[in-house]
Amino acid sequence: MRRVLARHTFPLAVGAIAALFLGLFFLLPLIKVFGASVLDATGGGFTLANYINVLSNPFFLNGLANSLVIAGTAAALAVLVGVPFAFCLARLPIGGKPALLALAALPLVLPSFVSAYALVLLFGRSGVVTGALQALGIPFDSLYGAKGIVTVYTLTLYPDVALPVIAAFKSVDASVEEAAQNLGASPGRVLRTVTLPLVMPSILAGGLLVFIEGLENFGVPFVLAEDRPILSVEAYKLFVGETTDNPASAGVLGVLLVVCTVAALLIQRGVVGRRRYATGTRRSAPAMAASPALRRLGAVYCWALVGAALLPFAAVVVISFMQFKGPVLHGGFSLDNFTELFQRSYRPLTNTLMLATLAACGATLIGVPIGYIVTRHRSRLSALIDIVATSPFAVAGTVLGIGLVMAYSSGFLILTGTWLIMVLAYMVRKLPFSVRSTGAILHQIDPSIEEASINLGVSPALTFVRITVPLMMGGIVGGFVLTFVTIASELSATVVLYSGSWTTMTVAMFQALEGTSAGIAAAAATVLIVCTVLPVALVYRLLRRHELSMM
Amino acid sequence: MTAITIDGVARSFGAVRAVDNVSVFVRDGEFFTLLGPSGCGKTTLLRMVAGFCELDAGRILFGDARIDTLPPHRRNTGMVFQNYAVFPNLTVGGNVAYGLRARKVGRDDIRSRVDRALKLVQLDGYGERWPHQLSGGQLQRVAIARAVVIEPHVLLLDEPLSNLDAKLRVEMRGEIRRLQKLLGITVLYVTHDQEEALAISDRVAVMRAGRVEQVADPRAIYEAPETAFVASFVGTANLLEGVVRNHDGDRMEVVFGGGVIHVRAAKANPGDKVVLSVRPEALRLLAANETPPAGWATLAGTLGEIEYLGPVTRFSVTLADGSALHLMAFAPPASPGRVITYDPQRVVVVGAVP
Repeated sequence: MRRVLARHTFPLAVGAIAALFLGLFFLLPLIKVFGASVLDATGGGFTLANYINVLSNPFFLNGLANSLVIAGTAAALAVLVGVPFAFCLARLPIGGKPALLALAALPLVLPSFVSAYALVLLFGRSGVVTGALQALGIPFDSLYGAKGIVTVYTLTLYPDVALPVIAAFKSVDASVEEAAQNLGASPGRVLRTVTLPLVMPSILAGGLLVFIEGLENFGVPFVLAEDRPILSVEAYKLFVGETTDNPASAGVLGVLLVVCTVAALLIQRGVVGRRRYATGTRRSAPAMAASPALRRLGAVYCWALVGAALLPFAAVVVISFMQFKGPVLHGGFSLDNFTELFQRSYRPLTNTLMLATLAACGATLIGVPIGYIVTRHRSRLSALIDIVATSPFAVAGTVLGIGLVMAYSSGFLILTGTWLIMVLAYMVRKLPFSVRSTGAILHQIDPSIEEASINLGVSPALTFVRITVPLMMGGIVGGFVLTFVTIASELSATVVLYSGSWTTMTVAMFQALEGTSAGIAAAAATVLIVCTVLPVALVYRLLRRHELSMM
Repeated sequence: MTAITIDGVARSFGAVRAVDNVSVFVRDGEFFTLLGPSGCGKTTLLRMVAGFCELDAGRILFGDARIDTLPPHRRNTGMVFQNYAVFPNLTVGGNVAYGLRARKVGRDDIRSRVDRALKLVQLDGYGERWPHQLSGGQLQRVAIARAVVIEPHVLLLDEPLSNLDAKLRVEMRGEIRRLQKLLGITVLYVTHDQEEALAISDRVAVMRAGRVEQVADPRAIYEAPETAFVASFVGTANLLEGVVRNHDGDRMEVVFGGGVIHVRAAKANPGDKVVLSVRPEALRLLAANETPPAGWATLAGTLGEIEYLGPVTRFSVTLADGSALHLMAFAPPASPGRVITYDPQRVVVVGAVP
């Protein structure tokens, strides 16, 4: 027994830290949310009354339906635009592929509610485009509601489908397709009967990701839904209590959100899990011999899609330099919006930079060892850690935030209102990415390199420090930066957890939106875009190697 | 310089018995090879010695010291991996010095020992190079230098040549053997290539399905296989099933489908069912007017397929019952001979028919 323990010290220690961290700041908050949903008003007795209340209320039922329909439609549309994009990039000889790839990945690190806000500025009731169209006498119905939300989701989340599917198209062994052609199948038939079925698992996985992110997103519906109920927004409103705070109903909505994502996950596993499509030796199919017309069509499509996704962000940046009177665009360029934004305080910017740095460090420090033991020490324990450490991605930020407040506003550890609770929430939310990306990096490093070091007399722990970490460094830095920028643009947990002195850039923008200072909101959005694009651009060369497999 | 005792060692992966109660003794300074098809447990056994695979049962000793309870980094074995496993983040010199640094060897000492090790594998002057600048064969040399420079108790090689092309493989195996003799080090070597095993080893253990079938020197493995598996895995063999008829102490007669064959005496009684192994080159097709050498026996048949391979020719002779014997000769058969002659001393009983 002592021998076994000694040999497993490293995985056991990592497992213990992971269990403690996830138990305290992920599982306990979830249990609190669940508890709130099944406890009666006294907090003592079990009851299903809360569920009956919520589910018999047409408003909330409507919210549930809205959330599911919007997320489902967005997932379908993302697949519909993402798969052809992936095919063009993987198989057609079109120009500027590296640039296209980089630009296609960009929406994933940019805050999606900024895109939503841009839509409001352009196509909203007093939007630039709406106004222009109406002036020309063309009737235009503004973009609020489901169609606006679905549009934003599709444009910002299609890379979730496109990037893995590009990799999948490239990993289909050319000889499998050649065999089909040799047996008499036309190129179209090969695509339909061989290639698409082989990339189907990646398509489904990407679609699922869009669905889950669409369900949990807070900012986009907050900007665009107006008075239509959406689960994640309603949970927030119930909890923060615009009228009276109602943790029980908020808990019910939170549980419903988690149930929806878990159900989607299980369905996807059921569909994909039974199939194994590993093709043996890999030789990527060469670029298709496409006619010039088809090639031009593909190029136009790809650039148009990438452009459409990034246009709102560009518009926000431009608009942020223009003059506003209240919510109405006035015209003329100036720095007034930025002056006004920073006149209030620099705190939101420094808070965002500090909190994102701390949380990214934390997520990396915990995630890398977890990813390491999950990948290298295969056992039942590590399989369990893997499941728990990657499940936060199925929990909406709003729900996690609510749970953290419920768990840590009284009792043995009081964190509500501190910066620490925000950092902890970010760490939990980004842990799945950190664990997965570490796994992806490790798959590139042959385990015998580590065995060689141990064989030469260096202990496993020292080998990890001297050999494994240096070899992983590029990937770790890349992962760190991606974690940093996605935390910088996090809103759904932040909005529940922030307190006055710990206002972040996203909250500043959120508050500006709630008020009427559109100019300040645009300025805050621009600052956010700079905060995310700049670090990514700085380590672009490091990221390029990893983005396809991990994001 | 150490002898290795592997004593009743076992390991299962799920329902598969990867290593099934194996006992092997490797002498001090011996070049000992584990030979077998993929999945026979040879690599698992090697990794048990290195410490990368835990034992379900049994023990492993270096000399008199039990080592299977030690963690892998305290065993002082030098391992050469199939894919070299050269650290890509260190120079050639850094790779070779790695184990010495772990052993807290002094800086000057490290430099001289690294230089000597690199000279030994004919890479002197390569210390400053980076692994990505080297060819496969050179990486292999770095891996070997890195393993021997720490003066390990034993040198473990896991299919070290399988990633090299055919010509380089022959060259490198000669070099590994030269190095082993020069250093007088105990080597445990894993391969699935039977020619490599015969060429390089002092002794060979042929493994199948987690068990050791036979341990012997290369000549005995080839010429006196103890099991049908060893006979057919090492080289090619005609395996014949028959019944012992006469046994006169020196020779015995075995009746099989194609006729009667004379065999060197073995532990068997008349009426026993046995399996025989005859190497293709032990059989000769007689020309029409030729007489067999003294003491040799004959079998009748018809010449079948001929395969010309350059240095040798393989052909088959169909026997009375329609079965075929495979023969090998330096020259293609000149005439369609009908009589095979052979030395009964080279026909071996490799087991009983179950």
